[in-house]
Amino acid sequence: MKILLALDPSTETMDEAIRLATEKRASLTALFVLDATWNDFTGHDWLSGSGSRADFLEYARDNELTSEADTIAEFRKRCSPDCEIKSSTGRVTDEILRELAREKYELLVMSHPFRRGLEIVRDAAGAILKHANCSVYFVRGNESRSSLNTVNDMPFQTVAN
Amino acid sequence: MSEPKKNAKMTVFKTDRHEDMAAMFFVTILVLSVLIYMAYIVPTIVLKAPMDGKMVAVTVQPEAQVKKGDLLYSLEIKEKKYVHDTLEEKLVVKEIRAKTNGKILSISAKPGDNVKKDKNEILVLKHEKGTLP
Amino acid sequence: MEEKHGMAKVIAIIPGLAFMVFTLYLLRTYVEPWMTTAVVFGQKGWFVQVLHLNYILLAIIAGMLYRNLLWAGKIPGWAEEGFRTTRLFIKSGVMMLGSLYTIQSLAKVGGVAIALIMSFVFGTILFVMYYGRVQKMDRSLIGVMAAACGVCGVSAAIATTPAVRAKPADVALAIATVLGFGIASMFISPFIGHMLHLSDYQFGAWVGTGILNSGQVLATCLAYNPTIAPGTAVAYGEIWNVVRVISIPFVVFFITMWYWRAEAEAEHITLVGIIKDKFPVFIIGFFAMTALSSLGMLGAEGSSTIQLMRTVMSWIFGLGLVGQGAYIDIRELKAAGGAPLKVGLAAGLIKYALALVVVLLFVSKETNF
Repeated sequence: MKILLALDPSTETMDEAIRLATEKRASLTALFVLDATWNDFTGHDWLSGSGSRADFLEYARDNELTSEADTIAEFRKRCSPDCEIKSSTGRVTDEILRELAREKYELLVMSHPFRRGLEIVRDAAGAILKHANCSVYFVRGNESRSSLNTVNDMPFQTVAN
Repeated sequence: MSEPKKNAKMTVFKTDRHEDMAAMFFVTILVLSVLIYMAYIVPTIVLKAPMDGKMVAVTVQPEAQVKKGDLLYSLEIKEKKYVHDTLEEKLVVKEIRAKTNGKILSISAKPGDNVKKDKNEILVLKHEKGTLP
Repeated sequence: MEEKHGMAKVIAIIPGLAFMVFTLYLLRTYVEPWMTTAVVFGQKGWFVQVLHLNYILLAIIAGMLYRNLLWAGKIPGWAEEGFRTTRLFIKSGVMMLGSLYTIQSLAKVGGVAIALIMSFVFGTILFVMYYGRVQKMDRSLIGVMAAACGVCGVSAAIATTPAVRAKPADVALAIATVLGFGIASMFISPFIGHMLHLSDYQFGAWVGTGILNSGQVLATCLAYNPTIAPGTAVAYGEIWNVVRVISIPFVVFFITMWYWRAEAEAEHITLVGIIKDKFPVFIIGFFAMTALSSLGMLGAEGSSTIQLMRTVMSWIFGLGLVGQGAYIDIRELKAAGGAPLKVGLAAGLIKYALALVVVLLFVSKETNF
């Protein structure tokens, strides 16, 4: 049996996928998708001149890379060495569906709500359920709605280039 | 691991600064095209009523040469204007003058005609090449 | 996605662009004239008289329908490149709007615009800083929301985000709030304007000051009065818009300084650096057009040349707005929530209502501009 874990910051989802894989003696593949739709998301913004939007898109991309490194490191700490970790770039749900279509997975494990890139403003669960070719297991994510309701005076770091 | 490109394409152009410059270039082309088209390519222009109203007088004759600023015709219109924050309507006679030198080819409106904005033709003018009618 | 070069890039633009042109052509030649005569609920021209629909609103609605219904939330690959030209068109239209003014007229109205905008900008920023703190919002997100609600909405949020190290995902929620508010006010403002019998000058001043997202100011003014000429809503609204756009770098500087106060990073931030990086260069084109029109180089007011120029302008705007509509995903706006929604809604509503009161009390209907 093959299980695909769509990675987001939720450690509960990671643990649950690892538990399921161990229980069912299944091979586990984790997929991290870097969101490449920030450009499209800010496409209506014609007022930004010069470097503004470029700086923002670069900043968003750096954040995506930091998030990728952090999430994968977190997953590596938990999983067995034979787990496969993949990474791709694109629209998050499209990339997950593409991976599902490419390999014969029997189960997809992901968080709900799914906190990867712009999926925070989109309905990842809906998009996946509509087109998934296998069973889907949603885990209630443990990260509160990002940092919106917490006082956090420390600016977080981005990857230096 | 696939890494997104450092300078991933943002627009049709590389950056918004390129887009800004392209927009300036595009506007320059558009404005120049309009100006050259009107000054050199269009041989005659049809002057239509600039607003709804009633023709009062036509002061030029067909075949007449006119100079920039010459009175062409006058139109009685209903002018809406805010005076002390209330909208007042009054009838005023508006004089329409030539915007450029040229020759009147034909006149199709006569005093007393009711004309509609951008619909009714008033006269046809052949403007001097290189001027903006 | 494979990056294209040269001719391939131009060819990739064609399908989407042609689709936008075709849409606008249909709207202007068939749909709009039909709406002025169509009898609905026993009233001739109901769409225009009651709904105040015109080709500007139709263009935006068409774009939104494409994205949200026809294409189920995503601009398809074949149209993607073409639709990316939308910003080019709107920027070009904005520059051409510069031809509606002369330097003298700009100076006359500009003073009122600067006074009104500056008081509202900094008033809103202080309000958001206070209310964000009450809502226990993250400091960097307060910075982003203050910029977004204070000046230009999305553009200001985008300009501020990297400087205050806000989380892009949080910014996405802030953008959803601001853009949602902008779009709602774009459809509602013309109704309120007609109801209160605002003059074009008052409407431009109100909308220019009160709408959260500047991206919608022009469209709202054109929705109120689609005529592009001196003395119309769009001519006044645009002055307000230009003042707002110019003030973005200053607001970013102010908020960045506030965010990094007493920290080492603050020493590296200079106003000149921010202006160099963020100043919207296309605004220079706007003033260049004003200069040309002041010199009388674009033809006399009322001439056929000026008329043709304004027709070209209206097509350019129409094209840009079809694209604008297509960049609006309703589902992404519905996701607005949390503290940014509360703060944005409070700041937005107060600003919108207060601007209307100020305009009704202090801005007279007539102007000799």
